[in-house]
Amino acid sequence: MRKHWSYILLLGLIILISLSFSYQLTKPLYFEVPKNWPKPKYDFKKNPLTEEGFQLGRNLFYDPIISRDSTISCASCHLQQTGFTHVDHQLSHGIDGKIGTRNSLALINLAWNKVFMWDGGVNNLEVQPLNPITNPVEMDEKLEHVIDKLQRSEKYKTLFIKAFGDNKITSQRLLKALAQFTVMLKSTDSKYDKVMRKEASFAKNEQHGYDLFKKNCASCHKEPLFNEDKFEKNGLLIDGTLKDSGRIKISGKQEDYLRFRIPTLRNIQFTFPYMHDGRFKTLKEVIKHYNSLGHNKNLSKELANPMNLSDNDRVDLLAFLLTLTDKDFLFNERFSFPKE
Amino acid sequence: MIKKTVYSIFILVLCCFLGNAQSKIDTLSINFKLKFNKEPLEYHKQYITSNRDTLAFENFKCYISSIEIFYTDNSIFKQKDSYHLLDFENPSSFLIPITHVNDKLISKVTFNIGIDSLTNTSGALNGDLDPINGMYWAWQSGYINLKIEGESPSCKTRKNEFYFHIGGYLPPFTSIRKIELIYDKEANQINIGMDLNKFFTNIKLAETNSIMIPGELAMKLADYSTKLFYIE
Repeated sequence: MRKHWSYILLLGLIILISLSFSYQLTKPLYFEVPKNWPKPKYDFKKNPLTEEGFQLGRNLFYDPIISRDSTISCASCHLQQTGFTHVDHQLSHGIDGKIGTRNSLALINLAWNKVFMWDGGVNNLEVQPLNPITNPVEMDEKLEHVIDKLQRSEKYKTLFIKAFGDNKITSQRLLKALAQFTVMLKSTDSKYDKVMRKEASFAKNEQHGYDLFKKNCASCHKEPLFNEDKFEKNGLLIDGTLKDSGRIKISGKQEDYLRFRIPTLRNIQFTFPYMHDGRFKTLKEVIKHYNSLGHNKNLSKELANPMNLSDNDRVDLLAFLLTLTDKDFLFNERFSFPKE
Repeated sequence: MIKKTVYSIFILVLCCFLGNAQSKIDTLSINFKLKFNKEPLEYHKQYITSNRDTLAFENFKCYISSIEIFYTDNSIFKQKDSYHLLDFENPSSFLIPITHVNDKLISKVTFNIGIDSLTNTSGALNGDLDPINGMYWAWQSGYINLKIEGESPSCKTRKNEFYFHIGGYLPPFTSIRKIELIYDKEANQINIGMDLNKFFTNIKLAETNSIMIPGELAMKLADYSTKLFYIE
């Protein structure tokens, strides 16, 4: 009988110990990759997605607490309804109304990006937020202050416990949580996607526009992401006041002078103004720019041949670009301001 | 029987704790000693370089990584997750425990100044690699391998300050440097001096006083930084 008891005791202990290891309070999230899409470049193994981590990241994304005077959040320059970018401003403005030197990029399908920013200076999604947080014209805050503020907040103590199991608040956890939110900003349900999945079909003008797109634009704005981790010269003259020389600042290579990232065209209808310095207000102007390049040695080789689009061609190309709008993404409640 | 079980669990737990607690005496460690002309360095004290620049230091931080100990029997000890930030404001950061002391004789010590490229692209990291330590560039992702700041009347800059932030991991401007030091003493503490005068011997502060981006100049300074180290 005594032997019996000790077995039960031992068994109970083993079960208790193993439970304490295996019992997880977090709910895992899965990152689904649409059929025929490339493999994401983000390393999910180093940052396993959970609902709690995602929600923490979402709260941080919408909270101005991470700026110096609690006035600017990530969402200040990255609004969901406009593809997570700052519309109507050529150059994005941050703290104290200060104006930066570039047009904020849309946050769409970031899981497939290897490098970030217009010049590719950032090498991992997780370290991207360090830029806006510390930039004197964006949030102008120090990382250690952000951590201090979060540590004093009851709300964040709770959210960090939920996401990570204890209330230790570190920059690593802050950055991983933000990445869990931003990596989930997936736009995969535009009309274009539905046509590709054979759930819808293009109108005649859209189809013509798509054909023109494949011939003239798709070598850089590669389907299905409509962007690439590459930097190209697209014929824009340097802005005399901004003097932004682009990728060369990062690489130090002369060939990278005036090269900028190839941005995604998804939801392009709503992410105006366009180009790194926001110089074009409308897509019409953008198409006109590319159509008027002609032969020019200073361009990337993909733009070496003139497009020669007729007026009708240009209208149809625009019609195709509008099929890249994904309302399910722009109004997805999971990505919106977190209501308590 | 119950007693026995409880005892054995107790002893097991105790063993776990004992395994972690290692006394200092039997640990081989590296002790870095920051100096100027063989004198222990002090912040805000005036020094004169071999190039006759008068200067004073205000900030010194340096990453040491991938420490390896070579023994005379051709065996090698490679420290795992070997990333250490030496910060002059935190004296204990200059003493790095490595491994158990053993009977083998050490023949060579090697390590890197700076952070390897894989770690530079690994996203948000913790501890000594936390970007909060002020050794990380936001606008161009990557660690600053070595940071030396101070002032000198030779610098015609604001407040006569000089700034050397040496980093960059992308070729051709890879600024990590490997150090190899031959060792032939018996000791459980390897004392490695770092003489800043050896760095500034190569520099005229009137000409070179502000390097804060990766590039050719950072590469030159990274080369000079290899001259800092010697076995004491």
